[in-house]
Parts: sequence; structure tokens; C-alpha cells
Amino acid sequence: MALQDICDFQDIFLDRGTSSLPFGKKTGFNYMRGLPFSNSTSLFNFYIPVAEYLDKSPLEFGQISPIQSASTPLSQDVTLPSLSLPENPLLSSPQPVSLPFPISHGTTTLAFIFQGGVLAAADTRSSCAGYVEGPAAQKILPIHSHMVSTTSGTSADCALWKRILSRELRLYQLRHGRRLSTSGAAKLLSHMLHPFKGTELCVAAIMCGWDGGEVHGHLDDTGGTKTDPGGCTETTKEIDKSVDPSLEKTQSSFSSVGGQQPLAREKRNGSGPCMFYVCSDGTRLQGNLFSVGSGSPYAISVLDQGVKWELTLDEATSIAREAVYRATHRDAYSGNHVDIYHISSKGWIRRSREDLKEEYYREKERRERGIRQIMTLSEENMKQTKMA
Amino acid sequence: MALLDVSGFSRYSELRGQILPAGRTHPVDRTNHYSFGTKTPEFALPLGVDPSAFLKSCNQEAGVSIDLNHGTTTLAFKFQHGVIVAVDSRASAGRYLASNDVNKVIEINPYLLGTMSGSAADCQYWERLLAKECRLYRLRNKNRISVAAASKLLSNMMLGYRGMGLSMGSMICGWDKEGPGLYYVDDNGTRLSASMFSTGCGNMYAYGIIDSGYREDMTVEEAYELGRRGITHATHRDAYSGGVVNMYHMREDGWIKVCKEDVSELIHRYRKGMF
Repeated sequence: MALQDICDFQDIFLDRGTSSLPFGKKTGFNYMRGLPFSNSTSLFNFYIPVAEYLDKSPLEFGQISPIQSASTPLSQDVTLPSLSLPENPLLSSPQPVSLPFPISHGTTTLAFIFQGGVLAAADTRSSCAGYVEGPAAQKILPIHSHMVSTTSGTSADCALWKRILSRELRLYQLRHGRRLSTSGAAKLLSHMLHPFKGTELCVAAIMCGWDGGEVHGHLDDTGGTKTDPGGCTETTKEIDKSVDPSLEKTQSSFSSVGGQQPLAREKRNGSGPCMFYVCSDGTRLQGNLFSVGSGSPYAISVLDQGVKWELTLDEATSIAREAVYRATHRDAYSGNHVDIYHISSKGWIRRSREDLKEEYYREKERRERGIRQIMTLSEENMKQTKMA
Repeated sequence: MALLDVSGFSRYSELRGQILPAGRTHPVDRTNHYSFGTKTPEFALPLGVDPSAFLKSCNQEAGVSIDLNHGTTTLAFKFQHGVIVAVDSRASAGRYLASNDVNKVIEINPYLLGTMSGSAADCQYWERLLAKECRLYRLRNKNRISVAAASKLLSNMMLGYRGMGLSMGSMICGWDKEGPGLYYVDDNGTRLSASMFSTGCGNMYAYGIIDSGYREDMTVEEAYELGRRGITHATHRDAYSGGVVNMYHMREDGWIKVCKEDVSELIHRYRKGMF
């Protein structure tokens, strides 16, 4: 394709049989390079790290060695060495490798759709087994101007796959002149993670995006886009369409995680907020409310209580903050700060990071005031009874 | 020695001989919980079986799959007008729902309540035993037992059988001379006092709700509403909790049963926009 020729890119993956070639080319660059959509005649080439390196201990990572499995066509499901399949003929060394330190996944992330778009919130504590490794991690990673991904699981895995996904989405945008929908991005991520099913890879992401179909400010008229339901006045100025009568149907079929089908059908041709949960074990779910992580049960009941379609942006922000705060209050692996991102048709906006310690002290003060009120009231009562 | 003889103290080995002599294998003669002995602490154990070793053999590696699942949500909190206790009513056996209408609160006496979570059999048995001990205390001492003492009795019972496979997470709530009391006792022997607890596998969902709505100076109606919401949202997200919300209010003059409402109706009320 044109871009490939221009930038002198070699689709190395199409060279069968020369196994050492890819790795001789770039030292230290140890993954096989293959792009989805790169060649219309070839099947999907997935961008995956070499099977070999999942066997080696991470401390030896980066050393180049001859690969036997380079010629495997990736059109089928490549079962990369899962640690319990030593008989796989593609592998060179089937011994399971112990990690240098125990990895542990503690976090609270949540996201929900409302009339103003999508709101995503997460804490910022990164933990490693019992230690708090970092108080200021970024768990909400922007993918492109209109999509954000909340990540949970192993931070390194999440950061890497998010970057790979951003790259793929950008290439798609350049080739096709429009952004890939959230559904497509989620599907892409899910397929990229599928070869690692059964390994220790752990990524649980919520893809939150606004599907607009516009790249350079003009509208995509194909398919009859629907405007976003409800009255989100601040963001619908650019979309110059009248409100569909069928939008009322959209609103009434709005439901939580269980009722995914009606919403999916309504949005097939449309633009608007969209949310998908993608997990490294292969799950890919569309929904309107998700919470992921060790602190998620605490947060999700607070969200269940308060999230409605008709929330204003401020109400939605305060519910999200409250939910993350409650989760960090009870879960040891969540804490420090809360990040809140809002995705609308204009793109994503990040609120300033808020320290939950302040929230804790504010609440403590409120409670003490309440107790003091009770004490004074009871004292007054006692005085009155004494006098009477 | 002289002192030993005078005080009638017997060494442990002799005591054991008295408690478990070779000849006495009939259940009536063995140590059990129905004798009213106060001189020596007695622990009734099945003869010839070591419970902890038996339990260790009942795990996945040995090929046996006895999964003790604890499906429930119970919560209790203290506030200025007493203690609110709210529980769900579902009993599950693995994936099978045995019943949606179980009473998980045991009314020990008009001033003491115990909640049950974990293994239903263990909870019911041990809390009835606790009720027996509380009654005996009242008869012997002419005063009602305090909440702290009742929870301590239960905790000591659990400690005696520690490691033998009991599964119980209970909250003892009452009103005694010191005011409202709330203790959490579990099968490890843990005994904690605080102003808010939630137990069972749905407890995390309930904590989110009651943490955000709790204030020391709530009115009685607000407290009822908070307890109901906590159980309802927990049953909404947890598969092993459900049925009805049984709610009790422990007041200075005793407990009252506030309500018994079906959670499916409650969730519709709370989440109008959801369905």
C-alpha cells in the first residue's frame, strides 16, 4: 500500500522461511512486526511478541536468539506457550518461568454513560503485593482525541497494549479517513490479547469513547448518524441534525449491563457515547456502567444507587468521586488520588487530580460536627428535664 | 503434694482420664453441650476422628470437592437511636438455591440479637447454644448478660473449635447498661467492636452504600432506609444474596422487627431508570 511504500516499511511477516531476518534487522527490537489491514490479500497479522520470550525469565529479556517459530502463519489462533502446555511443538523450551516478584492487581476504576457523554474515574495507587509502589499512577490512558481507556491489572501490560492499540487506531484513521468506532477498537484489542489467553497477562480495560465518524471537522453522512440522545447542549452544536423521534426509544431501552442488545441495535448507525469492557481472558462486553478492580464492589453499589441518564456533569462527577472514595476507603489496594475524565463529542477532558485525603478529612469533620450536635442536643434535653 | 490434695486440683492427664475415660463411649455419657457443668471446661469432640486432619483431606488436591460457600449479606450499624440490623434471606448450597426465606437473625432475648452468615448449620447451632448460656447467666446472676460478655462467650466457643472447620460470621447486637452494643464474632475467634459491620459475600456491596449514607445523627427513618438500601443493592449485584430484607431496630426498651420486604420490589423502587 502507498503508505507502506512511502515509508519503506517491510512487511517482514510476509517473508516466510527467513527466520533470523526480523531479529537481525533491529537489535533489541524483539517483536515480530505485522500489521492488521496491511495487506488486503493476506489474513490478519497480529502484532505480538515472540513466543520464545514468554519462556525466558524477564531478567534475560532482550537477548536475541534464533527463532524456530517465526514461520508460523498467524491466521490461525497461535497458542503461545501457556504455562501448562509443555507438549506444544512450536515451543523451544516449555518450562514455566517464575516471575521475579509477585504481581498483584489492586485498583478501582469505573465508567458510566450519561446524557453528557461518558465519565471515567479511577484511583491512582499502584501496588505490588503488600507494598504501595506508587501513589501517582495514571490508570486512565487516552487513546486518541475521543477515546480513553481505563486500565486495571498489571500496569506494564496495560501501558504496552494501550500504546499498541493507539498506534493501530491512528493507522486506521490515516488509511480510512475516519476514526475506528469504540466497538471496533474493543474488538481489535480483544483479538490482540487473545493469543495470550492462559498466560499471566492481565489486562482489564474499559474503552470509553465517543463515536462521531468525523475526522477533519466535517460530518460523515453515510448511514444516517443519530445525534446523541437527550439534551447535551454544550456538545451538540457541531452536529447539525434534528432530534430523531426514535431517540425516545433509545432512552427507554437504556439499561445497565444486562440489557445490551437494544442499545447496540440503536447505535448501529449512530454516533454518541459508547463503552466496552475488554479483558485479557477474552471477555468483550458492551454496557452502560462498569467498574473493574479489587475495589469495584464497593464502588459499584454507590454507582447503582445514583447513576441515571439525566445526570448533569457536576452530579455525575460527584457520584464518580464518591464511588472511588468509598472504594479507596475500604480497599487497601486503592487510594491516594482520583482522576476523572469526561468524554463528550468534543473529545476527552481531564479534571484536575483530587487528593482523597482531603475528602476523608472533610467527611471526618462533618461527622464530628454531627456528633457534637447530638451531644449539645442531649445536654439541652437533660438541662430541660432537670429544670422541669 | 499437700496443696494439690487440699484444693482438689488434678493434673491434666488425670483430668483427661475423667473426661474421656476408656469405657464411656455412649453419647449420653460423653462430654456434650447439654450438661451444665461449670467446674471444668469441656469440649465435645467426636471420638476417634481428628477434625482438622479430616478437613485438610477435603480439598481439591485430594480429589474431594467440598466447597463451603458462604452466600449472604448482613449488615448492622449503631447510630444515635440504637442499632439497626438488616439481613437478606437466601440460603444457597453451591449453585443451588435452597431457600429464599430463611431467618438469619436469631432473637436471643428481648435485648440481644445475633445475625448469621456462613454455614447455616453452624450459625444456628452455636447461636442457640449462646442463647442457652445467656439464659443460664440470667438465672444464676439475676441480671441480664451484657453484649460484651455474650459476644465473648460466643468467641470462646469458636476458639475452642478453631481449625476444625466451623464457618460462622456473626454480629451480636444488643442494648445493655452501657448503651447500644455491636460486636462482630467469627469462626476464627475474632471479636471486634465498632459502629458498623457487614458480613457475607455481599458485604462489599453493602459497605459502599452504608459508608456513603451513614451519619451518626441520622433520624430513625433515614436509618431504616439506609439499611434497606444496603441489603437491596448488595442482593442486586451478588448472586448468593436475595430474597427479602429482614430488618430489626434495637432500642433502649428492646428490639422491634421493622420490616420484611422483597428485594426485587425494592430494587425497582430505588432504580426507576434502570429497567
